[in-house]
Amino acid sequence: MNYSRAVTAALALALVSMSALHVHAQSPQSDPTEAGKAVFKRANCFGCHKWHGNGGGGYGGDALSLRKTELTRDQIIETVACGRPGTGMPYFARGAYDTTKCYEMTRQDVADRMPPEGGTFLRAPDIEAVADYVIANIKGKGEATYAECVSFFGNTSRVCDVYKAGSESSAKSAATSGPTK
Amino acid sequence: MDNHVKSRLKTALLATAAAAALGGLPAYAADEMTQDRLVNSEKEPGNWLHHHKNYSATRFSSLKEINKDNVKNLKVAWTMHLAGVEGGGIWTHGGLEGTPIVENGMMYVTDGWGSVYKIDTHGGKGNLLWKMDPKTDHDWAGAVACCGVDNRGVALWGNLVISHTLDGRLIATNKETGQVAWQKPVADPDKGEVITGAPLIVKNMAITGVAGAEYGIRGWIAATDLATQKEVWRTHTIPAKGEPGSDTWKDDKNAAAAGGGSTWVTGSYDPATDTIFWGVGNPGPDWDNQYRPGDNLYTDSSLALDASTGKIKFHYQHTPNDPYDYDSVAENVLVDVAGPSGAPAKLALEADRNGFAYAIDRTSGKFLWGIPFVKKVTWTKGLDPESGKPIEYDPKNPVQHYNAAVTPSRENKVADICPGNMGGKNWPPTAYNPELKLWYIPVIESCNRITVEEAVPEKLKAREFWTGGGPSQPVKITGSVTAIDVTTGKVAGKHETQFPNLGGILATPDLVFSGQPSGEVVALDAKTLQKLWEFNTGGGVNAPPMTFSVDGKQYLAILVGLGGAWDKWFIDATPELKRIQPGSMLYVFAL
Repeated sequence: MNYSRAVTAALALALVSMSALHVHAQSPQSDPTEAGKAVFKRANCFGCHKWHGNGGGGYGGDALSLRKTELTRDQIIETVACGRPGTGMPYFARGAYDTTKCYEMTRQDVADRMPPEGGTFLRAPDIEAVADYVIANIKGKGEATYAECVSFFGNTSRVCDVYKAGSESSAKSAATSGPTK
Repeated sequence: MDNHVKSRLKTALLATAAAAALGGLPAYAADEMTQDRLVNSEKEPGNWLHHHKNYSATRFSSLKEINKDNVKNLKVAWTMHLAGVEGGGIWTHGGLEGTPIVENGMMYVTDGWGSVYKIDTHGGKGNLLWKMDPKTDHDWAGAVACCGVDNRGVALWGNLVISHTLDGRLIATNKETGQVAWQKPVADPDKGEVITGAPLIVKNMAITGVAGAEYGIRGWIAATDLATQKEVWRTHTIPAKGEPGSDTWKDDKNAAAAGGGSTWVTGSYDPATDTIFWGVGNPGPDWDNQYRPGDNLYTDSSLALDASTGKIKFHYQHTPNDPYDYDSVAENVLVDVAGPSGAPAKLALEADRNGFAYAIDRTSGKFLWGIPFVKKVTWTKGLDPESGKPIEYDPKNPVQHYNAAVTPSRENKVADICPGNMGGKNWPPTAYNPELKLWYIPVIESCNRITVEEAVPEKLKAREFWTGGGPSQPVKITGSVTAIDVTTGKVAGKHETQFPNLGGILATPDLVFSGQPSGEVVALDAKTLQKLWEFNTGGGVNAPPMTFSVDGKQYLAILVGLGGAWDKWFIDATPELKRIQPGSMLYVFAL
């Protein structure tokens, strides 16, 4: 069976067994995509797609912009699980191309277009979670905002300063850069 | 003696008494670092007081207790685990690229995130006295560090240890207590600026270089007065409109404002002429040179600066209107030697990313000679013997194509270049043996592939890549230690290695030390380059070896922890290195 269906089947099983715990595990305030955000960080999707998902060129190649993408949820799941042959997009599902075909291909079929192996393996629920996170928070969104940045990083870093309203002018004239001579 | 000195003396004596009172530990009074000691560092042969060993950046030690006849007996004396291996930003782990500083048995090293460690090396072991953690903002800095979480080391001044952080600060730490005396922001990560280099101390000033040409910065070199903490001068490496050199940016898009010109490798200094020599990196966007027609001064240049004012005395540009990312960010090694014509010459030697080793007259900036130090150069047929510019350079044409068939451009969107964009030599330092007149280069024998993406102003955004495309690695990359005879300007020898040299070189009277990212620390015969000793550290070596002596015994020290750009962006060229695990270790060897 293809990867997308395998994942959906596994998730259905997981959901059934988790639903009994659902009431106890989740607080009323929690964002259902928090788990997916954690995967986005843990699997270092950040490293190429950047925190805002817009990707971009430069070192590491042209990572897909997840904001501009047209990929469906199923397609995102398949891409995370199987990577993208002939590109730098890694595969994150254990057994991809080996015990489970990807894009109808085995490791021998894909040959030297085999995508790299991700830094960690993700289980089916994690792959679905990160796809849900991308769909809910990234896909179709415009330019990255300060609020989105703080939601991603929290408040302990200056990483979001550059997105503050008017931060462009403050960055240029900041006292930190010293006198210009 | 005046009150200031009296109170400092009292503090020193109290510290000594306190240390003695703790029992067992010998007490060493704080040594003060002065400009006089820095100028005369060779009078302290057992110490390593400068990042590059001395102001001339020769990384040559005269110590010879360890020599070619006994180096085969060199073994591990002690090791120490350091921290700073966690990731941040786009990086999954930090790495070690630093050079230890040693003064009278006290060693100062930095880890990937810029913590400073003071280690007492007396008694043949390492005793950590203090660690200063600058709490580098991992996310803020790590998102815009193009090429790794690294810190290349500290400098000493007065009773302070001077260091940088990736998130742009200059920090002064009390040498005795390990407490931060003061810190100030010098670079701004909001602009895509980070700092990875070690400071250079010149006449009570800390000289700082910046990184970020892949993120649209406008590069600079800054001097901060260490007594007052005030900035004394900041020289931009990209001229502002109207300044000399601004006419070499001929576009109508204000490309110079994000023109690059990073300065992230520590420079050198000639006290006789009060001149600081510093290398300048690539222009941005890296691989779309049609966006920025003109020679793009002062990118890919060696600069000579007046130390007191920061004014540019002269420049020598290696690759005008660079389409390859061939920084000239390397150290300039200052040597005095008889030239090929026999007349004495005051040289500045630079091993450039573009695969050529240059000698220029450091009093005038005139090109003397230049030769390829890599096995393969395809981007140019060679250098003009008079000007040193690539033969294909056409000053009448604002956009350079050099060997057009192999040069990335909007018309030639996928091009294989040799050396690769990471250069025939990257940041790892060279070393020079003044007795043999041999200059040793840590070589990356490379080609790689550039895919161009046309830059447009809309793509220029704060803290985002501004590169005009990117590299990929379809072919294997190897390495070498290549020796150049500076009296003839010719390659004298090449010791080829399986992997690129990512750490740098140490030269002693009859030995050359280096390392490999596959784990080996090696000693080579300084004349024949024959390998005489090897030890596999089990990690990836990408830091320079150094040597020192304490209590009359000589040691070799090196930091080991694979990081930097290689194992993220370039690893496909050396797939065997994928098995190397991150780590953060200090190794010290002795007979």
